[in-house]
Amino acid sequence: MGVIVGPRVIDAGASLLSVLVSPVPVAAGYPSPAQDYFDGRIDLNAHLIKDITSTYVVRVTGDSMEGAGISDGDELIVNRALEPQDGSVVVAVLDGELTIKRLRITPAGVVLQAENPAYPDIQVPALSDLTVWGVATRCLHHV
Amino acid sequence: MSRPAVMRRMPQIAHVDVNCFYASAERAFDPSLEGKPVIVLSNNDGCAVTRSPEAKALGIPMGEPWFKLAPRAKEWGLVALSSNYELYGDISARVMELLGRYSAWLEVYSIDEAFLGVKGSPAELLALGRAMKAAVRRHVGVPVCVGIAPTKTLAKLCNKWAKHNPAFDGVCHWDSVPAPVRQALLGRLSVEEIWGVAGRLTKRLNAIGIHTILDLTAADPVAIRDKFSVVMMRTVLELQGTPCIPMEEERIGRDQLIFSRSFATPVTTRAGLRQVLSVYGQQASARLGKHGLQTKVLTAFAGTSHYNQHQASYPSVCVALPMPTADPVLLTRAAHALLPAIEEGLKYARAGIMVTDLRPTGNQSPLEPFENPHEERHIGTLLEDVTRRYGRGSIGLGHAGIKTGLDWSMKRDMLSPRYTTHWDELPLVKAA
Repeated sequence: MGVIVGPRVIDAGASLLSVLVSPVPVAAGYPSPAQDYFDGRIDLNAHLIKDITSTYVVRVTGDSMEGAGISDGDELIVNRALEPQDGSVVVAVLDGELTIKRLRITPAGVVLQAENPAYPDIQVPALSDLTVWGVATRCLHHV
Repeated sequence: MSRPAVMRRMPQIAHVDVNCFYASAERAFDPSLEGKPVIVLSNNDGCAVTRSPEAKALGIPMGEPWFKLAPRAKEWGLVALSSNYELYGDISARVMELLGRYSAWLEVYSIDEAFLGVKGSPAELLALGRAMKAAVRRHVGVPVCVGIAPTKTLAKLCNKWAKHNPAFDGVCHWDSVPAPVRQALLGRLSVEEIWGVAGRLTKRLNAIGIHTILDLTAADPVAIRDKFSVVMMRTVLELQGTPCIPMEEERIGRDQLIFSRSFATPVTTRAGLRQVLSVYGQQASARLGKHGLQTKVLTAFAGTSHYNQHQASYPSVCVALPMPTADPVLLTRAAHALLPAIEEGLKYARAGIMVTDLRPTGNQSPLEPFENPHEERHIGTLLEDVTRRYGRGSIGLGHAGIKTGLDWSMKRDMLSPRYTTHWDELPLVKAA
């Protein structure tokens, strides 16, 4: 197996070409044993988006969902095709705005819950009065 | 009404279109627009091309120039938006993709409407129509109406009924409407309401005593052909339930790319078409580059409206390229080969280019003498990079560039965010 291992010692007067040495071993004339196992890199779309037709990315403004790990400036992956359930983090239409809350459906009623004690819950008269825009499935949190 | 089972299994055609498409696409991401009069303006913020029902209720006519509306917009609470083509294109693609799940036989007719071949009993077809309507609304976020009938012309008509008659709740199936009700509805509608009958033809039809759609349905197709045209005869046959307008062949395949559109206002000059073709040439280059493909054959075409009885011109050229290429300069130049065939002064309603004989880039490097100087300089990738960063229209070649004439350089002062195609313009959701 012919392998070039660098770096070389370079004189101050050496030409640029002489520094072009591979930092890693390069196989010459012998196929990489890994190449048969390469099926492509991880594709985030494939893993994070179930249905491209009904999935949108939105950006969060505000800190009322901190407790759910959703911070100001984070991006959310929202699937409109999912049925919202008790406990779902939903994008709801409130007063003409898209708002992110946790949906609580209990025998006592329907509540849109913030995940930050500084923000009050919002009581919804009935589920049918609520427009759920989509269900958040992932948060792309900036670290 | 008892029909033989065989009749029921005859394929039917569903026509699906998005209600007030541009305005609905905007509302999907900005719910504050709900219930407000909204108009979307044409290129250069020229005139209203989409009106929400509230805007129609204000009496704003289709095509009203913005400068006439602007002074009263505040008083009306009217929201005017520039055409957000990036958004509409993406929403359209989502709608079509979703509809394609309901039928293998899908013809994308325009950005917001499609025909689908469907089969089933009346009950099944109604259920299918409702399922499509609900799915597009929920999954993509825009409202559609559905018309289902034995022919395209009737499907379009049913869609119109579905839209304007609340009793249908957005889905109308021809055979499910009792015959006396159909007759009554047809008798009330002017022939002008039919797909393909323009204002001028209405006058000519009226002159021979045909006023309503019911009148035209009762007409003798052959007599109509003699007095008018084959096109009009087809319309009569379609109204009578005989399919005459075939479904179009699949337009976008693995081995071809099509860039085509109908113009909101006809293009009447060679210079105008030169710009259009330049834009398509660059789009084709970008799309080919994205897929790592090159083309060997470019076809450019243009046409007057099929419903324009007085002008008929459908020039097309097919250019065999000297070597496979995705170079914007070469593709644009090839597209311009159509220009000598364009007749100045005719009203061209559509134009397009198609690239075929596609092959992977760099399969075989061309011999040195044939090397293309533009490709060498990576002009195509450069244009794409600049466009991606600074938006469409920020850079372009020659006639498609920033020095374009008025029609194609876009003024979009009231542009909403490109919510689904640009990371910096995502919809905002409030956590408050």
